[in-house]
Order: sequence, then C-alpha cells, then structure tokens
Amino acid sequence: MDVASENMGSSTPAPNGQRQDESGFKLKFCTVCASNQNRSMEGHLRLAQANYPVISFGTGSLVRLPGPTQTQPNVYKFNETSYDSIYRELEAKDPRLYRANGLLNMLGRNRLIKWGPERWQDWQVGMPRIKNEKDQGSAGLEGGVPDVVITCEERCWDAVVDDLLNRGSPLNRPVHVINIDIKDNHQDASIGGGAIVDLADALNKAAVEEREKVGASGFDAGSAASRASFDERVPEVLAEWQERWPKLPSTWTLSWF
Amino acid sequence: MAADATDASSKTLSVAEQLEQLNAARKLVLDNIAYYDRIVKGVLPIIGPTAALELRRWGAEFLAESLATPVLTMRDKENITVAVLDTLRRLIEGAGEDVIVLKACVAAAASAYPIALRWIIHNSYHAESWEQMSATKSRILHIWDGAPAPVKLSCIKFAQRVVLCQTASNGMEQKYNGLDISLNMVPPNHPLLDPRQLEAEATGLLDRMLGVLQDNSSDALLVDATLNCLSILIRTRPATSNRILNAVLNFNPLKLANSPMTPKTRVLVQSLVKTTRIFLTNLLKRDPHNPMSGRIQQYLERLMRSRTEIFDEAGRKRALADHTAAAYGDAKRQKLEGGVAQVSIPPLGPGPHTLAAVFALTSNLGLQGFDATQLPANLAARISVSALATLDEQVLNFAVAGVRDRLASLYGAGPAAAAGEPSVINAATAPLGVEEEDDDYEPDLTLAEDTEQILNKLDNAPPEEVIEPAADAAAALALGPFKLPPPPALDPDTAASLSQAAASRVFGPVSALKDGGAVRKSKAGINRLAASSYDHESWMTLITRLATRSTAGLDDVSSSIKQEDAGSALDRPRVSLGDTIREMLYTYILEDWRRRIEIAVAWLCEEWYNDQLTKRSGSNAPLHYEKWTLRLVDGFLSYITTQDKVLTRFLAEIPELSKALLGKLKGLCADPTTVQLALTSLLYLVMMRPPVREIALDTVADIWSEYEDARPLAAKYLAKWRPGFIESQTRGAQGDAAPANNVAIAA
Repeated sequence: MDVASENMGSSTPAPNGQRQDESGFKLKFCTVCASNQNRSMEGHLRLAQANYPVISFGTGSLVRLPGPTQTQPNVYKFNETSYDSIYRELEAKDPRLYRANGLLNMLGRNRLIKWGPERWQDWQVGMPRIKNEKDQGSAGLEGGVPDVVITCEERCWDAVVDDLLNRGSPLNRPVHVINIDIKDNHQDASIGGGAIVDLADALNKAAVEEREKVGASGFDAGSAASRASFDERVPEVLAEWQERWPKLPSTWTLSWF
Repeated sequence: MAADATDASSKTLSVAEQLEQLNAARKLVLDNIAYYDRIVKGVLPIIGPTAALELRRWGAEFLAESLATPVLTMRDKENITVAVLDTLRRLIEGAGEDVIVLKACVAAAASAYPIALRWIIHNSYHAESWEQMSATKSRILHIWDGAPAPVKLSCIKFAQRVVLCQTASNGMEQKYNGLDISLNMVPPNHPLLDPRQLEAEATGLLDRMLGVLQDNSSDALLVDATLNCLSILIRTRPATSNRILNAVLNFNPLKLANSPMTPKTRVLVQSLVKTTRIFLTNLLKRDPHNPMSGRIQQYLERLMRSRTEIFDEAGRKRALADHTAAAYGDAKRQKLEGGVAQVSIPPLGPGPHTLAAVFALTSNLGLQGFDATQLPANLAARISVSALATLDEQVLNFAVAGVRDRLASLYGAGPAAAAGEPSVINAATAPLGVEEEDDDYEPDLTLAEDTEQILNKLDNAPPEEVIEPAADAAAALALGPFKLPPPPALDPDTAASLSQAAASRVFGPVSALKDGGAVRKSKAGINRLAASSYDHESWMTLITRLATRSTAGLDDVSSSIKQEDAGSALDRPRVSLGDTIREMLYTYILEDWRRRIEIAVAWLCEEWYNDQLTKRSGSNAPLHYEKWTLRLVDGFLSYITTQDKVLTRFLAEIPELSKALLGKLKGLCADPTTVQLALTSLLYLVMMRPPVREIALDTVADIWSEYEDARPLAAKYLAKWRPGFIESQTRGAQGDAAPANNVAIAA
C-alpha cells in the first residue's frame, strides 16, 4: 500500500505527506496495536510526518503476521527481531505471496521508521530514548514519556490500561489513553492513520491554547472552552472528533505512568 | 560543564537562548545519568519563583521528570530530592502560580515524598528537609480542592503517594521507584515521625480521595484519575482494600447517562464505565480468591447489562423490539388463520393405542416420539401458557373435535372390551395408577378439608364443558371422572414449614432480578402502577405488599376462632404467612442494609398504611409498624459507622416516629464516633419534620443529660431550638425536675 498517495486527501498539503513544521509546543504521542506492524506503525508514520514526537508499541505476546494459510502465521519475538530481518525472511520464503498481500510493502515502510517491533508490556516508561534518534518521530520524545497513548483496538486499550494498573503508576505522570477501533487491514489502517492525525491536531490545539494562557490570571480571560485546561478538554475534543469519524468508535480514560 | 555554563551565562542570555541551553543540558543528562546531580542542582537558581514563566515551566517539568526517572538509584534520588525541596516548596507556595508550573511541581512533590520520607527515616537529624516536605504537603493539600483540573489531578496523585507511604505494606509491590516505601519502614520510636499519626493522616487522605466516588461524581477526569491509581493500594496496602472496594462498588458510573446523551456525555459515560470495569477485572484477575470477588462479579455483570441497555437498546435494539412487538400478534395470527385448513388430524388406525397417541396431533414422526414428560414442569407450564395465549380458538376447537372423533372411533372399534367392566377405566389411563381403594376415601369428613383441597379436587374433576357437548359419545365411552388421591392432612407444623418454604421461594427472583434498571427509573413518573414493570423494584413492592396485605384482617378472624375452638390443633402459637415473609424481608434488608434502606422505607410505609386501615376497621388485629421499625433500627444500629448518612435519610422517610424509636439513637452516643451522626439525624428531624420536633428535641435533651461526650454538640442544637433548657438544667437542684416536665408535656 502506498502511504504517500493515500495520504494526499487529508489535511497535509506538503509533498510526500510531510507537513511544514510549525515549531512550537507539541504533544507527545504513542501509538499501540497488537503487533506493532500495521495500524500502530501507520499511525506512527503519519504522526511523525505531521512533526509530532511519537513512539509505538504492540500489546500481543508475539509479533504475528499472516502466513501462507490461516493456521501457519509467521511469528516473531518482540524487541529482538528487526523489521528488516522479517522483510528479508519473508522475501526469501515467497516473494510473490508476501508482495501480493502487502506484507513486504508494509515491512519496507516500517524498516524506514524504526528498527523493530516493541512490546508495550516490556517498555520501561521514562527510560531515555536518546539512542533512538534515527527513528522517525523520535525528536521530542527523548525523555521516553508520551502525553497521549492511542490504541487501535479495544483489546489493546484494555491491555494498556490494565498494564498501567499493574505497574502501580510510579512516575506520578498523567497520561490520556484513547482507543480508536481500526480494522486490521491496510486500507482501514490508512484511513485510521488519517483519523489519528486529525485527533492529534485537535488535541494539540487544545494543549497549545492551554500553554498560551499565562499564569493564573489568564484563567479569567477567553471563552469557557478556551478557559478549560487541556486535560478537561480531552473528552470534548474526542467527542467532536467522533462526530467527524463516526465509523471509528473511540474510548478514553486518564491513567498514570 | 554544561551546568556551569548555563549558570554563569544565565544573566546575560535571553529566555529563548536560556531554554535552548537548558534543553541541551537535559539531553546531556538523558544521555548520561552521571550528570543528573550536578545539572539538577545547577538549574535550581534559574528556575526559582522569580524566573520567567517559560523557565519556571521548563524547570518544574524537568524536576518532575528527574525525580520520577527510573534510571536513577534511590541513593541518587535522595541527594537530588533533598536539594530541590526548597525550590519546590517556594514554587508551590507562590501565590497565583501558573497552572502548568503547579501541575508539574505537585507531580514532582509526589515523587519526592516517598524519597524524603525514606531519607528522614534514616537521617532523623535532618529535620529541616522534613519540615520543607511537610510544608509542601500542607500547601498541596490546602490548594487541592480549589485548584484547576490539571493541578487537581496531580494533587490526587500526591495524596495517593502519601497514602502509599503511610500505610502498612504486605510486601507484594515491586521494589521499584519508591513504591515499596511504606509505614513498615518507620521505626516506632522515631524522633520526627509518629507512625500512628502518619497512618491516621493516610486514612484521612484516602477518604478525601474516595470522596469523588462517594459523591457519585460525573467528572470523568477526576474519577478516572482516582480509579487508575487506587489499584496498587488495594493490592499492597491491605488496610485500604475494603474501604476502596466499598467506595467503588457503591459508585454508579452510569449516573450521567440519565442526562441527555450528547456526544460528550457519551464519551464521559463510556469512559467511567470502562475504567471502572478494567479496575475491577484487574483486581479479580490478580486476586480471584478475594472475599469480595462475588460482589465484584455481580457489580460487573450489572454494569455491563445496564451499559448495553443504555447504549444499544436506546438505539437499534429497542426499535427492533418495538417493531416486532407491534407486528408480532398480527403476523402470528395470520399464519394460523391461513393454517387452520392445513391442520389435519388423521384418524387412528385399528389396534391398541397409547393415550399419548390419541392426543398426538402432529404427523411428524420425530415429534411424535418426543417424550413431553422430560420437560421440566415449569418450562412445560410456560410453553403451555404462551401456546394457549396465542392459539387461535378455531384451531383449538378443531383439535378438540379431532381428538373426540378419535376416541369415538376407538370406542366403536372395541365396544366389547369396554363393556367388560362397568365402571371402566380406559385401558390407556391405567398406567396412571388409579386404585379402587381410593374410592373409599371420604375426604369430606376430615377436619383438614380446606378450600385448597376442595380446589384441588375441582381441578382434578373432568372439565365440564368438554364432557357435556360430548355427552352422548362420552356416556358410551364411559370415561368416569378421574380422581387423584387427596393429599394427607396437614398438621400445623408441616403447614408452617411449608408456608415458610413458600415464602422463601418468593425471594427467589430477587437475586435473579438484581436492580440493574436503576438508570431507567426516571421514565416512570407519577402515573405508573406499582409492580408492573417486572423488575427488581416491582418485585420488592410485591413482596412488601404480600407481607403486609395478604393476611390483613385474617389474623383477627383466626384469633376469634381460637377462642371458640380452644381444643383444636390450630390453637398453637403459629406464625402467619405475613410474619414469615416479614421475617425474611427483615433478614434480606439487614444483609446489606446500606443499599437496601429504600426497600426498608417502602416496606415500613406499607406496614404503616396497613396499620392505619386496621385501626380504622376497629378490629383487634395486631399492629406491625412499630414493632418492625424498632427491630430494623435495632438491627442496623449495631453496624452503623460515622459515614452512614442513610440513617438520617431513613428517619426522615419512614412515616411515623415514636419516642421509643428515637430513644434508640441515644445508644449511638455512647460511641464518640457516631455522636455526630445521631445528633445530625435528630437535628434534621427537628428542622424538617415539625410534627416530631418535640420528641426529637426531648431525645437531644436526654442525650445531653446522659452522655457527657455528646454535650457540646447537643448543647449547640438545644441552645438554638430549645432556648433556656440548658440554663434550667445547670441551675442546680430544681434542674432535675425540668426534663421530666418536658417529657410529660411532649408526650
């Protein structure tokens, strides 16, 4: 699937999906799906192209990719296998099949974004990611703590919120966890990627408005909506987004790292 | 190094340039943790309360990040923490501080607190750090309530960390990032820290955190933030588990669903429901043998059901159901009307046939082979009722006629066999085990014959309508009336135990009907009929009325019979059906009285109403209201705690209050924790229920004179509502007579 051409319809006029960087405050994002291959990587790429700091993870126990039949998936370990090695392995196995079902295309894209699939549960929140500076979207996320986690499936949202409960929130840092239900195929992932960027833009706008208010006195100025803080506005922003994207059901909670 | 550079040049650089340098310094520590100590200490002068807003924001966020980072050891963090406490405190105490600065500072304080506590446990000489930390803490707890939402979030988390540090641990947490710092580490004789005081503070803070749940708040942001940090407390701080779980299980995340469903409320309700669900399932998964797991499970099931009702039924499913309900009858009837002609009842061939074969109307072999006796009785009954309800009359007549024809032809085929026995029992009915001796039984003469048995007999008698049209054929068929042996006479004990069993079955559906429909109640309005909606609430109405009304007026009659017929077996102290149900209702309410207080009120209202009717009719039947009210109050007073405001509500809602009842409240004043509750409840009555004002005030007066501890509060109320009373009491010798007079007047 050609990401660049799919992408042109949305609000990104710059060539090749790249958006002009209006440097300023940027929310830090994290995208999550089951295998950190299709949906979360599409979101990762699109957010990175829109100049948002972004990292991505999978919540599954293993990286699972379709194989020759339904009962013979290609299975890899998280954190230990690079996109490039998977690409080369599948290309050696059956180039025609894996090109036809879009896997090679996807892996080819992914290996340009970062080294390999990472597992959410193994991720230590707050570990500096200085070493990942070649990853797309790494700029701004050196501290390793995103502000918003976007999952692409209800099951992943459950896994993330559940995992954060297990971790016991040692960092005392709030994080908005939002799910967007995206079907696991290339076309829906691409549509979902656009929806994710749309949501990110809306959220970032609210966050920038919050930061533009100076001090406690700024509290009395402006309309009710702009007076509310970013955290308070997240459900509202999500509700408005949901109106624009009625086919992608969403869920939100505020959790802790 | 970098720190020195920033420090030295900060005076001359613009804010933007300074930020650039600070960011470079941050990259440096992220890359190499060895620089943390120097850089954190180096930036402190630049980010203090007098610095530019951008620098303060950057600084606060950097402090929050540094104190939370997982890369530093506890020892490194102790050094940094002790160094930053002063700056942190000054930033937090700054009047009108920026929201983003405050949010990050409070978060930093949340990370600093356990580290500072640990430090002070081992370095008790360093009282200054602890003073800084305590000052920061009191400031945070002070601004908590009035703070803007983002700061409030951090305050919640700060309180959670304080609770985590200041309650005893069960050692189940990871030894990581200060999560394992707990009350266990505080030695009992520490010069600065008093473990009991710390624990008391933690208890208070936890209650404050749970307040958002207890108020049933619909502020999803705060509720989610609270729920999402309570899990570790339940798991690793056993002293908190029950209070947290009770608060969560009494929380209704669907409350907001009653308001109009805008896209935003939809997001909020979904969030509350799902966060609560994940919180509880996480708990069940981690500790499936928790004694509360049954309740958690029930709560989850109810929650999911209500959610489906709200989100699905409101849209698609409800419409579909209405549609089918509207179309149902017509569609069915049409089909049957068209089908009347198609129902054909083939005559039976020659040869012996079973009774089943005679009545089998279907020609489908598979269905003919089906043994209907395999069906459980209640299912069969339900099928029969719904079949009869929807069956077309024509079809029924057709079928009855068909069976009659079969019987007639059967008789025609074998008249000789039938003629052999004059009072013939049809061969087919023989397996039912009818015996000749039964005919000797003369039920009419036994004492135990009662309406019910007569009804049974009538039921067993052949239906007259069926026999009469067929009289000519039936006479020849000689199908005599079939009688079941009447049941043995009941002695009162068996009768009592059976009625007890019957009463307990009445409570069967209660558990099945769990009150999940709470959210839909609003639609009922004033025109509703009680007990018409087939839910938990209407079933409870049914039960209370069964208890109070079913035998109303009968008790009186039975007592008069007793006098005439003193020798009969009936003359025993027996429990009426109503009292049995009352007893069970009483037990049911007490099982979970906090949540079932509404049922108690509804029940007592019924009792009161019934008592009024009894009084009006002038009969001498026993009155129940007073007796059961006192029992209920006695029942739950022994479990009451400070927070049980339901008591106030209960007293306010039940229809009649007596001196004896309010006297029970006095007992609460023996316990200093419940004094407030008892007196507030009484004050409420004084203010809101003028008819009982005098009795309530008498009770307050009694409390004043009997319980030393309750005096200050009681005196306050008395001074307002019965001025002069206390003066007359304290005046000395004649004071003793005053309360007695008062009571006499009020009574």
